[in-house]
Amino acid sequence: MTQRSHDLSRRTLLAGSAALAATAWAPRGAAAQGAAIRLGTLTPLTGAGGSYGPSMRKAMEWVVSEVNAAGGALGRKIELVSEDDQTNPEAAVRAARKLIDVDKVAAIMGTWASAVTTAVAPLCWESKTFLTTVSGSDTITQLPHLGYLVRTQPNTQLQIGKLGEFILSLKSKRVFVLAAQTPFAAPSQKRLSEILPKGGSELVGGVIYDKDKTTFRSEIDQALRAKPDMIYLNGYTPDTTVVLKELFKAGYTGAKIAQGYAVNQKLLDSVPAEVTDGTYTATPSPAVDSPGYKRLAKFLGAADLDPYSCQCHDHASLVILAIAKAKGEATGTAVKDNVRKISQGSGVKVDNAVEGLKLLAQGKEINYEGASGPCDFTETGDIIDCKIRYDVAEKGAFKLVKLL
Amino acid sequence: MTEVAQLLVNGLVAGTILAVPAIGFTAIYAVLRFPNFTVASHATIGAFAGYVANTAGGFPAWAAVGVAFLVAGVAGVINDEVVLKPLRPSGALTAAIAAVALTIALENVIRFIWGNDLRGYALPLRRDWQWAGLRIGPQQVENLVIAAVAMGALFLFLAFTRTGKAMRAVADNPTLAGIKGINAEMVARLVNFVGMGLAGIGGMLLGLDTSIDPLTGFRVILSVFAAAVVGGLGSIPGAVVGALAIGVAEELSLLSLAPAYRTAVGFVAILLVLTVRPRGILGERAF
Repeated sequence: MTQRSHDLSRRTLLAGSAALAATAWAPRGAAAQGAAIRLGTLTPLTGAGGSYGPSMRKAMEWVVSEVNAAGGALGRKIELVSEDDQTNPEAAVRAARKLIDVDKVAAIMGTWASAVTTAVAPLCWESKTFLTTVSGSDTITQLPHLGYLVRTQPNTQLQIGKLGEFILSLKSKRVFVLAAQTPFAAPSQKRLSEILPKGGSELVGGVIYDKDKTTFRSEIDQALRAKPDMIYLNGYTPDTTVVLKELFKAGYTGAKIAQGYAVNQKLLDSVPAEVTDGTYTATPSPAVDSPGYKRLAKFLGAADLDPYSCQCHDHASLVILAIAKAKGEATGTAVKDNVRKISQGSGVKVDNAVEGLKLLAQGKEINYEGASGPCDFTETGDIIDCKIRYDVAEKGAFKLVKLL
Repeated sequence: MTEVAQLLVNGLVAGTILAVPAIGFTAIYAVLRFPNFTVASHATIGAFAGYVANTAGGFPAWAAVGVAFLVAGVAGVINDEVVLKPLRPSGALTAAIAAVALTIALENVIRFIWGNDLRGYALPLRRDWQWAGLRIGPQQVENLVIAAVAMGALFLFLAFTRTGKAMRAVADNPTLAGIKGINAEMVARLVNFVGMGLAGIGGMLLGLDTSIDPLTGFRVILSVFAAAVVGGLGSIPGAVVGALAIGVAEELSLLSLAPAYRTAVGFVAILLVLTVRPRGILGERAF
């Protein structure tokens, strides 16, 4: 009896693996009628960016499922291969190698942390794979990427320039920067030191700390000795949570400002309101009034979308449209050569991939404007303009201050 | 001058908390003769057990610390029985590598259940006490007391109870202890329970003042290891001395180093001690 059931299970197993093998081979079998177009997502499902990655991936999956439901791009299905970058450059490089060498994707989409993008970018341009990212560090588009990279996030120069103007509008006189060690920490500080004196304010100092430490008491002592009336918290959520609590404990009563990805609703929910009250946040704003944004919000079931999910929605749309523009040539080079032809210029404005594919099939020119914004790129791959939204935390919720 | 004094205070508080898991690590080393890096994940397990007791069970901090000790201790015994014990005969290096793998696996079990988000204990956030330009938090003082009580209890246990003496006997000379009829296997289980329990307390104390996530233990494992090596691997008083030294050195380094390089202090300390005095400050006598 035991023997029999053992046999049975082995047979089932064999049949199962045969079926599995069949599915695995199916896409290659279909190659004759136009193989599936493979695209990769590389988002932070774990690590400091872990609260954004899953929804970023979902946004891209949704675009792909919409396109596939409408018959694919030029009749070819899109296949998405997803990996986790763990918000860690080392893990990201391993995942990117897999996407490039094993899955042979035409594009990798959605890298979040600047350190991750910096590590992955060389693999992409060397293998002629296109990379779309939401990282903000200036250094990224300065890499010799030969055009194989665009980003939908405003760079440090643009973001910090606007942040500086906002700080000046608050009439803060002595600004201190507490920053986590990231590729944008030093450039941000430098940019602020240029902007602030123009409005009669000054940068009184800055500390770059190791974000993996559990306590920052000594760093905070250093900040308070400079007697600032405004502290710019340029870190990620985990370390900024600790820093905010410790500033409260230390009795700091001046103003605070942080990036919206660091001080988010999750952070407000996890600490008492008295700690976060009065903290300003700056967030590159998605195009909240656009149809693309509204449809994505409906699908994701949220009233307020984070900018990264919106940007990732646009990454997938842009890459698919660029491949269609290249007459179905699913390579990184084709995306590189065609992405600006469908994202800017005088073509018909479209806000989603399905509509864009229809128009392209009719031989029309298109100009994609997505959920995150106009998606117009400079030669080096930077976004040309972007709105920034400023909020202030009050009793555990955000209140809009202004949109600049 | 106040700056140095403040750094010293911060360092002593950090060092005392660090001493708790460092004692656990070094005690396990003394008896089982391999570096058990699962101290990292057991610190996290303790932190989460204490978190559940505190937020869902409504326990005050000191009682939740007890839960952290028990849960991490029991988890330590089970993990050792199932995973590490069968590998120990293959040598210390094999066991150490298995411990690294196990700690990553356990960390992901926690991630699977609670996710990546930061969690804070349900404790009132209190402003620091300020005195003559120095500041210290009420929670820090409470942590200091809890750590001191835990260490005091351990010393009493090792010095005066029969089981404690048996543990020291095995650590000093396993063969002789065996001849005397001490059951080495029971002592191994006990040291795992106590060692990992202490790691659990350490994890919770680290999180009490800030917040916890699946990496809570992993972040401090280097400092814990450095404390044990500096004090003398296998020496329990050494672990305390080492932890205080590392805690103070990490803080004082800020006088001349940018904070981003603070992590290097642990590595440099290990390097220095292994080069100059490989047996550590107090040598390797367990007690």
